[in-house]
Amino acid sequence: MVTKVLFFGAAADAVGERSVEIAELAGSTAEEAIVRLRNAYPLLANQKINISINQEYAPPNAIVDDGDEIAIFTAVSGG
Amino acid sequence: MDFWELTTDRIKINDVARRVVPPECGATVTLDGYARRFTTRDTKVIETEYLVYEAYEEMALKEMQKLVERAKSAFAIANVGIVHRTGRIEIGETSVVISVAAPHRKDAFAACEWLIKELKRTVPIWKKEVYADGEAWSEGEAAE
Repeated sequence: MVTKVLFFGAAADAVGERSVEIAELAGSTAEEAIVRLRNAYPLLANQKINISINQEYAPPNAIVDDGDEIAIFTAVSGG
Repeated sequence: MDFWELTTDRIKINDVARRVVPPECGATVTLDGYARRFTTRDTKVIETEYLVYEAYEEMALKEMQKLVERAKSAFAIANVGIVHRTGRIEIGETSVVISVAAPHRKDAFAACEWLIKELKRTVPIWKKEVYADGEAWSEGEAAE
């Protein structure tokens, strides 16, 4: 199974993509998913990033399930 | 009524302010947040030409709804309206409007201040500042 990962803002610029598909991410914790993505996209390592699962902020121990929508982004700056 | 919306159109501030008004209220406080040209950073004055806002739309709407619900349980207010614009925004144009209607103004002021502070911390929207000689994503406050 592949998991769809979305990137926004500075994280999208660092990755050079707005959306990618990552194999075998399901079963990982949110923290492990961040480590994997940082290894795959080294420019993300310089950024403090947040992860959401299915459009909710995910705590480090949250588990990624098959079919989940993951998003990676830096601190929000709306307003 | 309460509402939370994203739009790429110019925001009509007065429309937002009037939509929140119910008969039991006596005051509406409206924040008009707009694009600033000059920003001081480490004593250096930076001149912005325009802004570009990007949103994770589905999640942003969910987070805006949560803010409205939390504000209504924490403050003595009646209705809340939030409209955030995305895309390119020129200097002086409105990026966000928050209107809070309450029986009494004190509660409306407090809730409006709380709402913009929380919006900047939790709602997944990002601001890019574009200068004459480059661009930079605005550094947000710590998220969750």
